[in-house]
Amino acid sequence: MRTPTALDEQSLVDGLKRGDQSAYEQAVSEHTAGMLSVARFYVDPSTAEEIVQDCWVTVIDAIQRFESRSSLKTWLHRIVANRCKNRLRTSNREITTDFGEVLEPELDSRFKPSGRWSTPPKLRFEETADALMENGALSDCLDKHLGALPETQRSALILYEAHQHKSEDVCNILDVSASNLRVLLHRARQKIFLMVETFQETGEC
Amino acid sequence: MLMCRDLAGIASDYIDGELSFGQSVSVKMHLMMCKDCRSFIGNLRMSTRLMQGHSSAQADDEVIDRIRQRVSSALQERQPPSGPGQ
Ligand SMILES: [Zn+2]
Repeated sequence: MRTPTALDEQSLVDGLKRGDQSAYEQAVSEHTAGMLSVARFYVDPSTAEEIVQDCWVTVIDAIQRFESRSSLKTWLHRIVANRCKNRLRTSNREITTDFGEVLEPELDSRFKPSGRWSTPPKLRFEETADALMENGALSDCLDKHLGALPETQRSALILYEAHQHKSEDVCNILDVSASNLRVLLHRARQKIFLMVETFQETGEC
Repeated sequence: MLMCRDLAGIASDYIDGELSFGQSVSVKMHLMMCKDCRSFIGNLRMSTRLMQGHSSAQADDEVIDRIRQRVSSALQERQPPSGPGQ
């Protein structure tokens, strides 16, 4: 949905390169929320705000080098992710990269040696995702579990699912190969699946 | 032949349409016969949808406002209003 005065991406980028105030207004309005949610998955909310603010100031100079090879959104998210990663590195927090097994151990243990299910999925989702999300306790539980995912899995999930970035853009932002991204996504999804299953079964997170 | 455990390993690729034609046919064949795996795929897909709804939560308007102001003043510092018409 766009207003008649909204600039398309190329004119927006041209405006940013000229240092046009209204182009910045528009870009900040359109992209800050997404940048904040990328940052919030690496760092706490107030650090996220600080980082996104710094990124925008950086953009004022760096935009001259933006060549539209990726979308503006992808480029901005990459700047944010890189800055967060640097921040974590300098504070000595390891970024754990887990490209190992495809199956989560907890899920893997639910198969017989023959390869058939020994403990099949317990619940059928009859409710829609929207109805499930209206359950505040489940939503809190999801937050908690997302917070506990290794950073790369969490970022992969957020960028791919929530921000609907294309796979190649996510690979670019996170600096992983396409096959590693597939592993990250699948492992993160299995954990969310296991969480929702436990939640529905026991009501506990 | 594709077993349940194999299917669980490639379930996300199936959901995202990343499998080869042959693999995708094997998965479909298995799903026709196996209700547990149908349930697994359904649940995994729903978990994915849950994720999409969850994280599109709107960011704080006040935060965005603060950032907008900071950008605006940074912009002015860089370009002192020298010439006419901005
Ligand atoms: Zn099966």
